[in-house]
Amino acid sequence: MKAETISSHRGGMWSWLFQRVTAVLLIVMLAIHLIFTHILNIGNLNYDSIGERLAHAGFTAVDVILLAAGIFHALNGLRMVLMDYWFTSRRNTLALTVALWVVGIAAMAYGTWALWPWIG
Amino acid sequence: MSKKPRETANVGAGLWKATGMWAWLLFRISGLVLVFYLGAHIIVISMGQFGHLDRLMEIFDTPILVLLDLALVVAVLYHALNGVRIILMDFGVGIHRHKIAFWIAMGIVIACFAVFAWVAFTFIATGKGVTG
Repeated sequence: MKAETISSHRGGMWSWLFQRVTAVLLIVMLAIHLIFTHILNIGNLNYDSIGERLAHAGFTAVDVILLAAGIFHALNGLRMVLMDYWFTSRRNTLALTVALWVVGIAAMAYGTWALWPWIG
Repeated sequence: MSKKPRETANVGAGLWKATGMWAWLLFRISGLVLVFYLGAHIIVISMGQFGHLDRLMEIFDTPILVLLDLALVVAVLYHALNGVRIILMDFGVGIHRHKIAFWIAMGIVIACFAVFAWVAFTFIATGKGVTG
């Protein structure tokens, strides 16, 4: 039997590898994100205070990495789920992958635009 | 195949067996919830561009939405810690002890959740808003 865990009908090697890489990034960045928003600054969450926090380059980096890694991890995970039930043929899988990349790039552009007034 | 490799050859991967089955199913459900939340989160934060963010933040002070936020924390913590267990198994760590690894991960989930729950319930109890 061929090794099936990373064969192409399960998403491919790069998809598998980047899912792990983004997972590790997300755990570290989300820990920072959640501790600062939900524990340390919870009584002081508004447009201006978010701006003060994001004025530090380190927090800008955390948010941009969260956005990119989050979008990739979310859409690649969704792709794995959809490929388990539908989109099983090679042609449909390709169409799904292309469609999700379009959604992902659009979400990245929109999310960066949303952060822009705080970053700039 | 000798006895031990045969027992552990397909650990986890889609086998409908007790702990591993529930771990997989909850991982999938929490993942889908988080995909949905990420989309909602990006849209909510983008409202800052239209000047609506502070008003939305005040709506999130409603106790029922604070509780919903706590449910989100559970989804994040479960997905993160079960994910760590899966990555460790990719490196061959804990394959023979994946069930005990699962319960250790759940212990960490509960410990982290307690911190967030304490903060959330303090806010509901004192009636202080998250926006300040």
